[in-house]
Amino acid sequence: MSRVVHYINQFFAGIGGEDKAGTPPESRPGPVGPGRRLQELLAPDHEIVATVLCGDDHAASGPEAIEEIMRLVSEHDPDLLVAGPAFTSGRYGLACARVAAAATAAGIPVVAAMHEENPGLEEAGGAPVVASGEAARRMAQSLDTLAAAVRALLAGEELTAAHGRIGAIPRRVRVADDDAATRAVALAMARLGGDREATEVPLPRFDKVAPAAPVDPSEVTVAILTEGALVPDDNPGHLESARATRWLRYPLEGLESLPAGEWRSVHGGFSTQWANEDPHRILPLDAARELEEHGAIGRLHAAYLVTAGNGTSVGNARRFGIEWAADLRHSEVRAAILTST
Amino acid sequence: MGSVRTVPEQAPRLTRAVHGVTSVAMGDGTSYAGGTLTVSAAEAESVLADPALASVRVTWTSPGDSARIVKVLDAVEPRTKGPGGGGIFPGFLGPARAQGRGTTHVLRGATVVAAGYLPRAQEAVVEMSGPVAEMSPLGSRHNLVVEFTPAEGAPWEDVDRALRRGVIALAARLAEAALDAEPDEVEELPAVGGGDGEVDGLPRVGAVTNLQTQGNFKDVFVYGRSFGTALPTLLDPGDVDDGAVVSGQFGHPSLKNPTLVHQNHPVVAALRARHGTDLSFAGLVIAPEPVDAVQKDLVAAHAARVCAAAGFDAAVVTKEGGGNADADVSLKMDALEDAGIAAVGIFAEMAGPDGTGPPVVVPPERATAMVSAGNYDERLTLPEVERALGGEQVALLELPATAAMELPTAVIYCANSPLGWGRLTCAEAPTP
Repeated sequence: MSRVVHYINQFFAGIGGEDKAGTPPESRPGPVGPGRRLQELLAPDHEIVATVLCGDDHAASGPEAIEEIMRLVSEHDPDLLVAGPAFTSGRYGLACARVAAAATAAGIPVVAAMHEENPGLEEAGGAPVVASGEAARRMAQSLDTLAAAVRALLAGEELTAAHGRIGAIPRRVRVADDDAATRAVALAMARLGGDREATEVPLPRFDKVAPAAPVDPSEVTVAILTEGALVPDDNPGHLESARATRWLRYPLEGLESLPAGEWRSVHGGFSTQWANEDPHRILPLDAARELEEHGAIGRLHAAYLVTAGNGTSVGNARRFGIEWAADLRHSEVRAAILTST
Repeated sequence: MGSVRTVPEQAPRLTRAVHGVTSVAMGDGTSYAGGTLTVSAAEAESVLADPALASVRVTWTSPGDSARIVKVLDAVEPRTKGPGGGGIFPGFLGPARAQGRGTTHVLRGATVVAAGYLPRAQEAVVEMSGPVAEMSPLGSRHNLVVEFTPAEGAPWEDVDRALRRGVIALAARLAEAALDAEPDEVEELPAVGGGDGEVDGLPRVGAVTNLQTQGNFKDVFVYGRSFGTALPTLLDPGDVDDGAVVSGQFGHPSLKNPTLVHQNHPVVAALRARHGTDLSFAGLVIAPEPVDAVQKDLVAAHAARVCAAAGFDAAVVTKEGGGNADADVSLKMDALEDAGIAAVGIFAEMAGPDGTGPPVVVPPERATAMVSAGNYDERLTLPEVERALGGEQVALLELPATAAMELPTAVIYCANSPLGWGRLTCAEAPTP
């Protein structure tokens, strides 16, 4: 019988909701919450020997939390770790993904489950993740998928799209029989023979964004935005210096300039000395006010949006973009200048 | 009276007289006999002598040695066409005349390798034993390593020039030692690109070879001149055998194409191997890799027109360098496909240490056929070795050059050969 450890959050462990999101990691014997159904699906071949649980805020707080969780997991010497399902819950998905990545790095077989649009998915790196539904009302189907994935992994199979696998599948180096030039000539011949599908490298998919139609800036509200991590000096919103998971909105109303000492960049990707000496180098409020005064722009938006663009995952960056667009549209902003570092 | 066109019974071709080098030695004179290449250090040093170089040292290192070469610059295969070079390395050793005909003597299994500090050169490592040795073409060859001390006050550009000329001259000099020896193999190379090179009824497949031409220390020379401001042109493949393309490009170690690899152009070799069987080798087009986008577009458009004019049905497009050079391959692949010419590109993947990132920085938009030369971010573990040549330290790690170390594949010389020398590729690994 294989030994399985299950990772879940405080909510599914029945401890509580947002008010209990700071719960530190703990380990309980046997299955807990959704683990009970999962155990039924895995019996009699596999046993959930323990459940490790943690509050979402604590788990998403940084690498130390994941280390604590992994210490508890390792104590049970599992044949496999299963995490989730996290559905579309962002912090829970992030925790499951990071736990899966940590388990993979430690050589512990693992599978996590979450919805394809969970912003945490990318944090799994190449660790296996299978799809779950969007919310807990899809628990039954989600556990069916997860249990099938657990059984497949424990039977020595590789998880593929057929198992509901989502996220990145790592590409590893292999040694081919022929040199690359010989393979390239063979591929050219295959292509001339009508095969338009053959390739060794899948085309990466990058989003292509069609620019919005031009506006007359003198007639609209214009926002200034930055990924340069310029925040009030005490960083009240705790913006991260790297791999940001959040963005912040700060008011500009009544402000004519950003004096040195009152504002600073917490960006971790460049020397902030020159940014802090004159914060306008990151967020050009001085120039924007001048343009507003001369009527070159209709009005400057009463707040600016900020994050740190430094090792930010594509998943989080995409989420910030969607949220910023919604926020700005809601504020009737029709044009924006985004400064980058 | 009408003109009479005389068709020669046999068009002039290039013949390679191959002399295998199976062992090497230092001695009082330079000689080649029975597979053993003996080099006189004094003679080698006199060939390399230049006002820009205070001193030079030559040392053999062979496959299986517990040795590592660091700060590897260019590598050249010894070749000659006769006494004094006989036209080999045109534009460097003699006048810039078209070559690619007659007999070229090749010392196969030996190289002359420059190693040491030059500005803009990125740390490049060759292992002579262990699992990483086979990832570089130098790992399986006997390498005469040229180390150097620049003359005081000599501009780095002069040091670079002196090394390039000296290494080429030394390579030619070594090959001359085999001029009177019976070759181990005689390789008749097909004439290509028209004339008797035409093979009726077979698809015409050619090569488009981008040369990284980005200024001093990142440049490639054709007939002795920088190719940086050139437009794409057809080059007789035999000219490449005879050293018309010489590398002065010291960036991107795993993604570089040293002179050695141009002399043995892997795509040209693959096309020659199938010429007359199921394809007709349509020709070799060389193109610069400019740095700005407008020039990249222009060069791509011209390359496609040259291929179309030469009647290509398909082309294998290759690059030298990192992500920037992906654009040069992708733009040409799209331009070729737009012209109705099937395009295949060789790319090294840059997918992060865990292989989950986007593999190609600038993928083609319409073309899709790509061959992978491995992931340059994948980590490798190198064992401690007894001896290091080329430098005392590995620049990236500030470790003694002989130490055990972990490095990305990107640092291993030609490990992701964009000209297609290597056998690395990538495949999905569902279980990490």
